[in-house]
Amino acid sequence: MSLVEHKKIGVNVKLWKSIAVIAGVFAFLICFLVIANYIQINRLDPVNTEAINTLVKRLSENPNDEALRNEIRALDLLVRKAYFTNQWQVRAGGYILLFSIAVMLIAIQIVRTTTPINPIIDESVKENDQVFKKLSRKWISIGGGAIIVIALVLTFLTHDKLEKTFKEAAIIASTDAPELKEDTPNRKVSTAITEESTNEDEVAHQGSDAQLNVKVVVENVAISEAPSEKTTTPSKASGVPDFVLEARKNFPSFRGANSLGVAYQKNIPTNWDGASNQNILWKVKPNLKGYNSPVIWGDKLFLTGANKQTREVYCYNKNTGALLWTKVVDKIPGSPGTGPDVSEDTGQAAPTATTDGKNVYAIFANGDIIAIDMQGKQVWAKNLGLPQNHYGHASSLLVYGDKVIVQYDQGKSPKVMALSAQTGDELWSTPRQVKISWASPVIIDRENQTEVILIADPSIAGYDIQTGKELWKIDCIYGEVGPSVAYSDGIVFGLNEYASLVAIDGGNSPKVLWEDFDYLSDVPSPVATKDLLFVVTSYGVVVCHNAKTGEKYWEHEFDNGFYASPIIVEDKIYLIDRDGIMHIYKASKEFELIGEPALGEGVVSSPAFADGQVFVRAEDHLFCIGKGN
Amino acid sequence: MKKQIIVILFLIFTSLQFTSVFAQQRFPKPEFESGHTQPPTLKPEARAPILEYLDIVVLLVSLSLVTWLVLKKRSRIGVLLMSIFSIAYFGFFREGCVCSVGSLQNIVLAIFNPGYHIPISVLVFFAVPLLFSLFYGRTFCAAVCPLGAIQDFFLLRPVSMKAWVQSVLGVIPYIYLGLSILYAATSTDFVICRYDPFIGIFRLNATFMMFVLGGAFLLISMFIGRPYCRFLCPYGVLLNLTSRLSKKHLTITPAACIQCRLCEDSCPFGAINKPVPAKVAEDRKTIIRRYSWMIILIPVLMFIGGWTVASFHETLAKVNPKVRLASIIHENPTILDEDTSIDIDAFRSSGKTRAELFTEAADIVSDFYLGGWISGAFLGLVFGLTLTKLTIIRYRIDYTPNKGTCFSCARCVDYCPVVKDKIEIKTLKI
Repeated sequence: MSLVEHKKIGVNVKLWKSIAVIAGVFAFLICFLVIANYIQINRLDPVNTEAINTLVKRLSENPNDEALRNEIRALDLLVRKAYFTNQWQVRAGGYILLFSIAVMLIAIQIVRTTTPINPIIDESVKENDQVFKKLSRKWISIGGGAIIVIALVLTFLTHDKLEKTFKEAAIIASTDAPELKEDTPNRKVSTAITEESTNEDEVAHQGSDAQLNVKVVVENVAISEAPSEKTTTPSKASGVPDFVLEARKNFPSFRGANSLGVAYQKNIPTNWDGASNQNILWKVKPNLKGYNSPVIWGDKLFLTGANKQTREVYCYNKNTGALLWTKVVDKIPGSPGTGPDVSEDTGQAAPTATTDGKNVYAIFANGDIIAIDMQGKQVWAKNLGLPQNHYGHASSLLVYGDKVIVQYDQGKSPKVMALSAQTGDELWSTPRQVKISWASPVIIDRENQTEVILIADPSIAGYDIQTGKELWKIDCIYGEVGPSVAYSDGIVFGLNEYASLVAIDGGNSPKVLWEDFDYLSDVPSPVATKDLLFVVTSYGVVVCHNAKTGEKYWEHEFDNGFYASPIIVEDKIYLIDRDGIMHIYKASKEFELIGEPALGEGVVSSPAFADGQVFVRAEDHLFCIGKGN
Repeated sequence: MKKQIIVILFLIFTSLQFTSVFAQQRFPKPEFESGHTQPPTLKPEARAPILEYLDIVVLLVSLSLVTWLVLKKRSRIGVLLMSIFSIAYFGFFREGCVCSVGSLQNIVLAIFNPGYHIPISVLVFFAVPLLFSLFYGRTFCAAVCPLGAIQDFFLLRPVSMKAWVQSVLGVIPYIYLGLSILYAATSTDFVICRYDPFIGIFRLNATFMMFVLGGAFLLISMFIGRPYCRFLCPYGVLLNLTSRLSKKHLTITPAACIQCRLCEDSCPFGAINKPVPAKVAEDRKTIIRRYSWMIILIPVLMFIGGWTVASFHETLAKVNPKVRLASIIHENPTILDEDTSIDIDAFRSSGKTRAELFTEAADIVSDFYLGGWISGAFLGLVFGLTLTKLTIIRYRIDYTPNKGTCFSCARCVDYCPVVKDKIEIKTLKI
């Protein structure tokens, strides 16, 4: 398109000139106002004005003058409002300024493009190509030379043999005791384990820090040599405390006693139908919703429910479904009252309660934790501080003897702690260097050692339940960890979606035995027998592995996904999907489906068991399933 | 018809503003009781896949349209309007990311880091402008690249630079290219993005220094045409090379050049090759001798360049965060006991041992040494070839765009009095 054709497209040059001028003047004015406003903001200190200072001085002379106090507050509010209004004006002015400059530039460019040109030909100016190239060669050579000289000078000045230095430092650091910080015994242990320094002679010269490493290793050796407990078979093996045996007779916590995913009850039904009420003994509707699972002790069944304003603990008669009592959790010292904003699929009452037959212990998304006796009376309560957790706190409590274990892997100062079951006092607390986790603690009973196993990005770790000391740690996991670990026959199994499935030898020098990446989970926890590991994915696939080698025996895809965790009962696995269909199959090397009874209501919580009964918290109702209806 | 096109483009752009409403974040942001609001990030949010594909479509359509406007319609005003669209869409709406300029780092990272998966949109943004350039010249620079377009808009009083100054400054993009590849290949940093002077303006969010840098570039752009494109842009190096091979490049004249000299100073970017008469020729023997020397000099320059940058590798490696952290911890081992910085805190949280960190840092320094040799040899080659090119005299009769450096902005076409096969008589005066 040539110049003469510009007229044809109808560009009104005069109009665009006017727009350019108006936009330019407008931009100038706005610029002036913005600068004036900015200066005003900078001169104004909303928390240190003369008027307020004078009034504050007067108030200090007469502290009981309520009117003056209110006047100061009102003035302070006014000054702050003015400050933030000014800030908003500067910001808005900036946008308007930008816009007006853009309009001005567009107008100028359109005017320039469409205005006829008068090229000026200066006959006296004639470039000599030879001169241009000669000068270019000269200055490129000089420039290149200068760059080389500057680079070499800087090299000479800053050369400190970095690679060699780092290599030497790495060798020193790998054997150097001073690396192990005196104030963080946890890291000492993990470092020692990571580097697998099992040779006592090697580390003996490293001083007191090294001795600690050796001590831990020796402890682990002792553990590995102890006969491992067969978790799937309830037995009165020596070393298992009586309260654990008692707990196994009930279903006292998330995924059963010690949270191992094993129920020790018998005569569990395999057939029911929610639509026709076949084998449904009773169903009730809890007052408030919650994604926690039922726990049972004796004839009592406990649940919690909450919304942002109210938190409640319910106790039902497990045989009749009668609501025995409801405890409203309020007036907790230090509690923020209302619950935090959490995601809908976590809710305010995601953690499952736990009970030891004396009390029931419950925790909520706002950090309120409470102990209630079996008659519904508050024993103790406290607030642990609002958890920084973007979905909502979900780690369940676990009671072990006189200790209530709380996994508090939140954004700020993650930790694991043991509270006294009787008083709520903190017995020990161990800081953790992990990210937020939604998994729950698992307890492993051994002859001489009881460990709390926790999983969170980046590690799976074991803690001494008596002291809270970190016994071992392996960095092997990452992401937003939801599933808890499984355990059997000395092997800890941990996994997370987008990370991996790892089997860890929890004995001497903990190490990863095998890893698998094919089927992972972001919500349901795995469960293990002595020889088999069952992994359940949230999208509906169940996989059976050889627990020792990781070899896959079978995988089966169900129609619906899972949020509930599988529970092993009587050599069978009970796994309920999100549509409320319980998939019951043999815990064996070959997939053998036993039944698929449907409840008729969606389910995300894990089931609980009593002799002859299954309890399921569904979307709206709590169901009791048993034979003989 | 043109007005309708503009209206349609405007409507498409406006409607795009609302599509982001439907893009749902997988993880909702938490709302805290304290009233704390999340600080704005300096990086744009990830785009929904459908918007990424839309970006690809918009890129293809824009490039095709600009190419058509430049080559067929020879319309400067069309290029100008497309520039406005590109600044609005690729600049402010897409917040300048991913841009073709920065995408070359993603490509390099994908080549050297098998764990890095390169998104298809990044690949397209890298390759398509180069393909267009290969066939039609740098029409991408003309009005699709938001970085070039925004500089072009500020060009109000162009000042012509001496040709030799341009020639010398023209080497800088090669150096920048070499360094950015080195840093991307070692997974150190995307320096092109980090020091993009205009990204802060497009996002209305940057550090004070980056705002100052962006403002300075725009201020310079008022007098010196597209300083970033000409004297810094590493992607421009690739476009320059591919554009030289283009068969259907923009021409100043639609027909035969009549050497009227009217276009001589029309290009604010100094991208017009002027006629070189035979009489300026040097002695043939001198030229051949100098040429031969340059050919011999190239490997020498490559070695010197390689050796120099390889020697300089430690200073370059210190930009790497791991190397920097390792240096800090090595110099002051007790720093780990103090909560001094986010880097130290992050290292502590990672659970890594110092030995692991030092080993990784040593490996990175070693990579920089090797990369230094390669980058330096590349720069030596660039200097050698540039000097060699400057020894060759090419005779020219007509005024032609320099295919390598021409941005196809179509300014020069308005200066040509030739209309197809006839001369248009001009009596043009403001």
